[in-house]
Amino acid sequence: MSQASLSREQGLIDRLKSRFPEAIKDAKIDRARRVTVHFEKDHLQEIAIFMRDELGIDHVKGVAGVDFPTHKKIDVLYFAASYSKPEIHDIIVILMAELPRDNPTIATSVTIWPSAHFHERETFEMFGVRFEGHPDLRKLLTLDNWEGPPPMLKDIKFPEMGQR
Amino acid sequence: MTAEAAAPIMSITKGSDSSTLDVSVGPQHPGSGHCRILMRVDGDRIVSVDPDIGYVHRGCEKIAENRNYVSNIPHLERPNIADAIHLNWGYTLAVEELQGVVVPPRGRYIATIAAEMNRIASHLYGLAIMQGVFVGHTTVFMWAFGDRDLFLELAEMLTGARMTYSFLPPGGPRRDLPFGFVERLTKLVDYLERRLPEYERIYFRNPLMVSRCKGVGVLKREDAMRLGVAGPVLRASGVKYDVRKAEPYGAYDELDFEIPTFEEGDSYSRILMKLEEMKQSIRIIRQALEKMPKGPIARKAPLVAPEGEATGRVESSRGEIAYLVMGDNSDKPYRVKIMNGSFRNLIALPYLVRDVHVADLPVIYGSLDYWPVEADR
Repeated sequence: MSQASLSREQGLIDRLKSRFPEAIKDAKIDRARRVTVHFEKDHLQEIAIFMRDELGIDHVKGVAGVDFPTHKKIDVLYFAASYSKPEIHDIIVILMAELPRDNPTIATSVTIWPSAHFHERETFEMFGVRFEGHPDLRKLLTLDNWEGPPPMLKDIKFPEMGQR
Repeated sequence: MTAEAAAPIMSITKGSDSSTLDVSVGPQHPGSGHCRILMRVDGDRIVSVDPDIGYVHRGCEKIAENRNYVSNIPHLERPNIADAIHLNWGYTLAVEELQGVVVPPRGRYIATIAAEMNRIASHLYGLAIMQGVFVGHTTVFMWAFGDRDLFLELAEMLTGARMTYSFLPPGGPRRDLPFGFVERLTKLVDYLERRLPEYERIYFRNPLMVSRCKGVGVLKREDAMRLGVAGPVLRASGVKYDVRKAEPYGAYDELDFEIPTFEEGDSYSRILMKLEEMKQSIRIIRQALEKMPKGPIARKAPLVAPEGEATGRVESSRGEIAYLVMGDNSDKPYRVKIMNGSFRNLIALPYLVRDVHVADLPVIYGSLDYWPVEADR
């Protein structure tokens, strides 16, 4: 992959970095069409508004949580991309924030990207991440009588799945 | 988004009054699949709906963390057995990316053929159940199921299984094209091409079907983009977006095909999209058979994946399927995240089913081609 062909990805990174020199800790091109942006969790909404209005990144494909018990953190990943700008159709920007494991809280992105509605509900349920300002943060997938801790955390084991 | 725009997807258990009635549709499959739709009605008009999903949640992502890379394939394709090859392929692309494995050209062509056969079979399934039965047209149900079976038979010939193929482990497909397969597939796509105009006559131009679907559940272009819907639902609203073109995988960059789009965004165009996509699939299969390169079909892939993360994605028949796979130098993934079309299209339901007749619910729901198990994972 030559350098020249990554100019669109680099362009996105440059614009994000120059607009948010403080909030964006690190931004890199994973490979062609994939950009990972590590950001300070308090700045999610302003970054999302900038990405939607200025960069044309108008929807979220998914919101993923990743649990790291040894590092005492939960990563939240937003897979954001564009439908309205055909020239960056193929790029996925992965916004990544680190949350403390004992109190995982982050502002909601639903007010900026309504497409994140069910994804944030799922991450709330599976990882216990509270999205502040979400209009309807309820359980989604687990049974109504499930009262255990968030099931996707690494220290929750299900022996019937072969976990020990 | 304003407060009014957020309102339709808020819990309807809040703020009921005596003029409305809450009705639960499902989850025992009276037209909702394995999901429950809580519906608030005012007479014959639906005020709002609240999809209550998760009845077929299996914890696929959790299970995936405890199986090694290859044994993950059979269970990761279970969420959508009608479209198993795409659920398999998206995961495989992510793992191959992580391991740095490149599939030989012949393997990519065989995978493309298998995927397009599966897309046709899956669209025929959707046409039969979601759009045929829900709209009240039983003939297309019998026809589409009959024709779909021919594709399943050929899939069995190629992969050894009718529906859940596990055909694409990292490295390339498991088998080469069997003896006599090319002739049979050529005959079959010729047959389907002759058959599609008959579908048009009996179903797509049927006055009953047209009057029930035209102008019902209109998803505007801006809303489709804002809500992040995927696949045929998105393209029926006029957004020309298809992963096969945006980020070509398999052999799609070497094949010539169109992305059909419609401007209307109503249930009718979402259903008609199935027909147009099947025509393109026929084109793709013919070209792939013609251009089929010689050589090996697969390379050996390691059983472990290095530390890092990769996102692979494919265009399934219900929209884009993307997998995030995180490796940690072991034979099991640290995390697998499944992002699929059904889960993303779910958000369109509360937006579309607003101030419509109760009888329009199955039509709108059917036109979204929502697959509950795929969404619940």
